[in-house]
Amino acid sequence: MAKSSELKSEALLEQMKLHLSSDAGKHLTKKIGLVYQLNIAPKKIGFNEDIYVVDLKKGEVKKGPYEDGKPDAIFSFTDEDFFKIASGKMNPQIAFMRGAMKVKGSLSAAQKFTPDIFPKPSKM
Amino acid sequence: MAMRDLVTGGAACAVPGSSSSSNPFGALANKIIGSSTNQVCGIWTVVAILGLVFAASVVFDTHSYCMWTILKLERLKEIPTLTTTTPDGSFYPGANEPLTMLPGSDFDHQMQPNGQVAQFFQRFRPADEGRLDGVWDEMHNPQPDSLSNLPVMVHPIGVNTRPQSDLEGPPQRVLSSFLHSFVNSGRGGIPLHPTPLPVLGLSEGDKKCIRDRSSIMARHIFADKSEDFINSQVNALLSSLDIDNDIRARGPLPGRFHELDEYWNESQGMLKPGPLPADGWVAEYAQHRVQHGDPNAWAQSFERQHGANGWASEFEHEQSQIASLNPMGGANISNLAAMEQTRMLAHTLAQNNDPKFQVNSKFLQFVSKMSRGEIFIEDNQVKPTAVSAPGDWATEYQQQHDGGHAWADQFVHDKAMDILGVLLSHGPDGWANEFAAERELHGSIDDQWVNEFSKLNVQDWADEFGRQVGEGALGESSTDNWANAYDDFTQKEHASSLSPNSALSFIFLLLHETFGESMDSYLNEQVASKQRSDTSRGVYEFSDMNPYVGRPNPLKEGQELFRKGLLSEAVLAFEAEVLKSPDNAEGWRLLGMAHAENDDDQQAIAAMMRAQEVDPTNLEVLLALGVSHTNELEQPAALKYLYSWLRHHPKYGTLAQPEMSDSLYYADVARLFNDAAQMSPEDADVHIVLGVLFNLSREYDKAIASFKTALVLKPRDYSLWNKLGATQANSVQSADAIEAYQQALDLKPNYVRAWANMGISYANQGMYEESIRYYVRALAMNPKADNAWQYLRISLSCASRDDMVKACDSRNLDILQKEFPL
Repeated sequence: MAKSSELKSEALLEQMKLHLSSDAGKHLTKKIGLVYQLNIAPKKIGFNEDIYVVDLKKGEVKKGPYEDGKPDAIFSFTDEDFFKIASGKMNPQIAFMRGAMKVKGSLSAAQKFTPDIFPKPSKM
Repeated sequence: MAMRDLVTGGAACAVPGSSSSSNPFGALANKIIGSSTNQVCGIWTVVAILGLVFAASVVFDTHSYCMWTILKLERLKEIPTLTTTTPDGSFYPGANEPLTMLPGSDFDHQMQPNGQVAQFFQRFRPADEGRLDGVWDEMHNPQPDSLSNLPVMVHPIGVNTRPQSDLEGPPQRVLSSFLHSFVNSGRGGIPLHPTPLPVLGLSEGDKKCIRDRSSIMARHIFADKSEDFINSQVNALLSSLDIDNDIRARGPLPGRFHELDEYWNESQGMLKPGPLPADGWVAEYAQHRVQHGDPNAWAQSFERQHGANGWASEFEHEQSQIASLNPMGGANISNLAAMEQTRMLAHTLAQNNDPKFQVNSKFLQFVSKMSRGEIFIEDNQVKPTAVSAPGDWATEYQQQHDGGHAWADQFVHDKAMDILGVLLSHGPDGWANEFAAERELHGSIDDQWVNEFSKLNVQDWADEFGRQVGEGALGESSTDNWANAYDDFTQKEHASSLSPNSALSFIFLLLHETFGESMDSYLNEQVASKQRSDTSRGVYEFSDMNPYVGRPNPLKEGQELFRKGLLSEAVLAFEAEVLKSPDNAEGWRLLGMAHAENDDDQQAIAAMMRAQEVDPTNLEVLLALGVSHTNELEQPAALKYLYSWLRHHPKYGTLAQPEMSDSLYYADVARLFNDAAQMSPEDADVHIVLGVLFNLSREYDKAIASFKTALVLKPRDYSLWNKLGATQANSVQSADAIEAYQQALDLKPNYVRAWANMGISYANQGMYEESIRYYVRALAMNPKADNAWQYLRISLSCASRDDMVKACDSRNLDILQKEFPL
């Protein structure tokens, strides 16, 4: 537990795990019900990527590629850009257009990938 | 001349009937290889012919003797005239020729009677709606190599879709198409998968011939691939054809090449989201046709735009992109994404039946070229050395930025989402001009940058940059600044500041109406994100209008305001103080605190960093920095400051080992603080830091325990109550969190951060109406709290209060407060 990588995304996705068990999280799985795979690179897309699966069908976040078939959409971004997107500082569509986010898979699934699905960290 | 033997089907092939007279391809090879002193070049030329032949869709008409005895004579006589003009080293013929000399112009004439054009197109896309055929028929100057230039994009689709249509039918057809996929597979570097084929009735001789030749040819076709790749390709071919494979020992079957499989999937995956690139091309072509009426005019216009060598450079550009795709398994596939994007856009526009879209072909052209321009910038890798003269850049940026506002205004006026209104107000020529200007900007200035920059002293630039930001000193170290400035520069280059980019986004928004956000909020977001990107670099951003500047004692006034809980006012007063005396650590510290309580960690960090610069050992500053970085999930930075806290603490400093500060591990720091807590369990501060540390490692239960311990010692510390609440909220104990926040708010009613946190906790419990009220309350006290605006928007949409989203986007607090009183 104490071991933690330097990726912000990991911290955020750890929070996501807890978030999905909350009422808001359950609301999400009901509303979205899709499986996203996130390929998160420390610096440059495509290099040394950490892969996470945000399963909004089952309400789970797991490290490693999706194994039960195909995710509805796969996103690739850098750690920093993912953090910006997930925390609402960058619009996913704009990230996509700038090339800061790559998308594979269903476009309609990709469009439900918004900051809304991520936990809102409370600040100390 | 093994190559010639192979191709001519000499001794190696024992199949009767494959003499040189019935092997025109071999004859051709003879001619070329014989006439070339450079054997390698000859081989490449043959390969080039293959590429051309495939592209022109001369379907292999297999007589099932031998895979290379396949071309009909009458078609072949065209080929030498095409290839003799091929310059040495040029992979595809015609690359350096002007359009009028493009090869293949008489191909369609040849092919029409055979009805093979249709077949060709069907292999591109079985579900063809006839658009490609239509375009093809109307083309008087088809460019086969513009198709073969895109082998990676084009052929995998063919390979992929062919089995359905082509694996049935007579054996010749099956074999022919399968061999096609084999040859084509090399160009995209896509592994061939063993495919169960129907019984082809190949004789042993046939099989031997195919085996021998495919293994040798493969080494030429895939000359740029690794041996393993070639082996696996050949194995896949042979095993699919049910040919006993005695070279099997040389390489495993592709099925065992996991990386190749992944690679295959990746290249397939890449193709899926967008429409077929070929379509994009067709669409583009269709647009040009509408505009100019005939292809020659198109060619002329292209030349006008790109100069006489335009084709060559365009071709080289395409080539380089393809080349970048080929080598290591699509590591650079990302580069194509932007182009894909525009192709997709062009495609969608072309599909729109609205005649006005069709008329605005220049616009379309502009759109597609524009994204290429973007790529150019990326490819050129505008290095720090290429940063333009700051003054120029700033003005330029400013202008473009204003352009963005113009867009926003226009959008507001065009609520009907009437893109045409916008377009026509610019006029197609306006677009073209803008495009040209844009090109000018990116093209010629690229070189000037370097020149101009080399004249500039680095320090000058940094100074000027500093002035622009509005303060003398820059962040932590100058190298950081350079990196950051560069990041910032490229970011802005890519961001909405370029008005054409906004235009693109704009259309994008229209095309996918799911992008429900208005342009307005989009631009707001852009502006906001720009501001944030500035502050994230640790550069403090001062307010524009500050009434406290010039007052005799702003620090005292600020403290008074802070005590009263008028945080936003206090911020202004402290800003005036630090503007007056930039070395006042206490001023900076209080400014940072005010920002933190105002729920703005970025500014808090920036201010605290200045405080720490002046007074590196101030414990409160170090703790505040640790907390703020923890909030921003910046673990290494947080750890650094928390360790500094310990090191500079008069009591616990002895615990810290100086050598540790270079490489901090969480576990070590946590252990030191545990020691400290044992040393003096009565010190609330140690427990607070421990609580923060446990937040960092997401050990929330321990963090809660630490904060509770600290609260026993310091029950009136409102920020401590908030810390407890935030920790509970992050560990999904939202109900408890709300109690803790309430304690904080009882002690400090204007604690913006606690109000915003309340909103989050209600939202996390699904009580969106409640959360809205708290967010609005927080925002009423600090309208600059961007996070809260973002969260408010989410809560509004979750609570199905879409009627209020507009008020949220325009940040109209009056409406929101009236609607959601607390």
